[in-house]
Amino acid sequence: MNDHPQDPFDEMMRRSLAEEADRIEPTDALPEIRARAHAQRRPVNRRPWVLTAGLAAAGTAAAIGAFTVFNGNANTANDGDAVAGQGSTTSATGAPDSPRVTSASPVPGPTKPPAEDETIAPLPKQKGVPETAVKEASVPVYWTAYRVANTSAAPSSSKSDVRLFRTFHRVSGYPAVEAVRLMSYGKTSDPDYQTMWRGAEVNSVRRFDDVVLVDFKRLPQARLDKATAKVAVQQLVYTVQGALQDNSRPIQITEGGKSGHRLFGQIDTRTPIGRAQALDVQALVSITAPAEGSLTKSPVVVSGTAAAFEAHVNYRATNLKTGKVIESYAMSEDGSKLSSYKFDLRLDPGPWLIEAFLVSNEDGTTVSDADSKQIQVGR
Amino acid sequence: MVVYEESVTHESSWNADEALTAVYTAHYTSMVRLAALLLRDTGTAEEIVQDAFVAMHGRWHRLRDPHKALAYLRTAVVNRCRSRQRHLVVVDKHMPRSLPDEPSAEQAALRTAETDRVIEAMRTLPEKQRTVMVLRYYGDLSEAEIADTMGISRGSVKSHAARATKSLRQVLEQSA
Repeated sequence: MNDHPQDPFDEMMRRSLAEEADRIEPTDALPEIRARAHAQRRPVNRRPWVLTAGLAAAGTAAAIGAFTVFNGNANTANDGDAVAGQGSTTSATGAPDSPRVTSASPVPGPTKPPAEDETIAPLPKQKGVPETAVKEASVPVYWTAYRVANTSAAPSSSKSDVRLFRTFHRVSGYPAVEAVRLMSYGKTSDPDYQTMWRGAEVNSVRRFDDVVLVDFKRLPQARLDKATAKVAVQQLVYTVQGALQDNSRPIQITEGGKSGHRLFGQIDTRTPIGRAQALDVQALVSITAPAEGSLTKSPVVVSGTAAAFEAHVNYRATNLKTGKVIESYAMSEDGSKLSSYKFDLRLDPGPWLIEAFLVSNEDGTTVSDADSKQIQVGR
Repeated sequence: MVVYEESVTHESSWNADEALTAVYTAHYTSMVRLAALLLRDTGTAEEIVQDAFVAMHGRWHRLRDPHKALAYLRTAVVNRCRSRQRHLVVVDKHMPRSLPDEPSAEQAALRTAETDRVIEAMRTLPEKQRTVMVLRYYGDLSEAEIADTMGISRGSVKSHAARATKSLRQVLEQSA
């Protein structure tokens, strides 16, 4: 648009805007952008080179065996994360029937909020119960991933596009501590899942009457925007509560025994943090079984949870060698909330990518949410 | 939605991380400045631009080209700024004549009188006109690029630019 380069008005506009712009020196944000981008969900159709890498790893991953737990209708992740072999988990006192804390944001818990950076005083009055070590337990670990990035450029500043996805892991020792450790190391066989807790080091998990105290040697250093931080903190809440099989007690987060750190630069940890509503933070569609990288036989029973418009869960299985595609849909049990779905697939031997996805009810074509698992179907 | 893209096997020299680093290094500052000119609030500008970079990283597999990535970023930033401004307008109506936008005395001192007058005059423009002017004179974009970025026709770009120029000239003459 340099039609009149000589025009003094144009020159003045250029000069002034450039001068005004030059006064702005943004601080380096690459580490933060990178951290957030790494929580980014990979798209449903993965790039071929990722697939190739994934295939190479598939055999090993199957051997490592993400210990998949599938107990029929109990897949509403909202509900206690009931896990097979639960008798062996934790001190197995059973989840108390106290009212569930459900709140989308950190809520003041029943304990008196301690002052900033003060050792939490009210807790030691009652004795916290450390976890009971177990020989083996299966624990759910929650991860973060973006919903399918189909958003037009419209900002959704108040709600995060990050959601929680779950995998199961076999651990021994203290289940909740181990679950948090896995979560912070970011070790998951599913390449789509990430953690916001990278770099965190957990110390201990202790149960009190009305709160669970999770103490860290080191809290994660990532700084997040507010909406993402709210989901990120729920990654811990869901993981700890899942391992303890107790959705009711809020989580008090401390570092070196002290509370009040501003987690992710956003979250006030002076008071315990309650469990957010599943619909606000959990993936709207996820595949529980088969697990990523598992070796299985046809027919493959695929199960998961979804909060699907009109209970309609689309799926697609793609043979990564031949390109053969099987597409259809399944119905979840209840279209109005997170509920389980299930379908069977008859698959030829070979590597398959199974995708479950929801379509936006606004235009009926855009994929809004998705989860995928790559598996190997044996002969 | 494409089910299984066999066509995507062709090379792309950068993965999403490399693209992010490269595009960030080349364009982050100018994007923040662009957003700050549109919003007059550096904090919000940084936030919006960071969001756009995260989004760009997420769809690098579809963009696969730094030029497309830049166009995508620009559109994302401009759209986000525009809806943020629309929101601010609504908020403003319920607030007393706003102070937060006022530059501090210190900052203002760094500006030349001319810039001061231009920036002041820009504030009087409707949002679309202001956006066109910023993209034209700071972004140095062509009419077609502005049209693409804002999702409006070239004709509209022309008329917004003409109207903006007319009122800016008037305001500036008065304040001169």
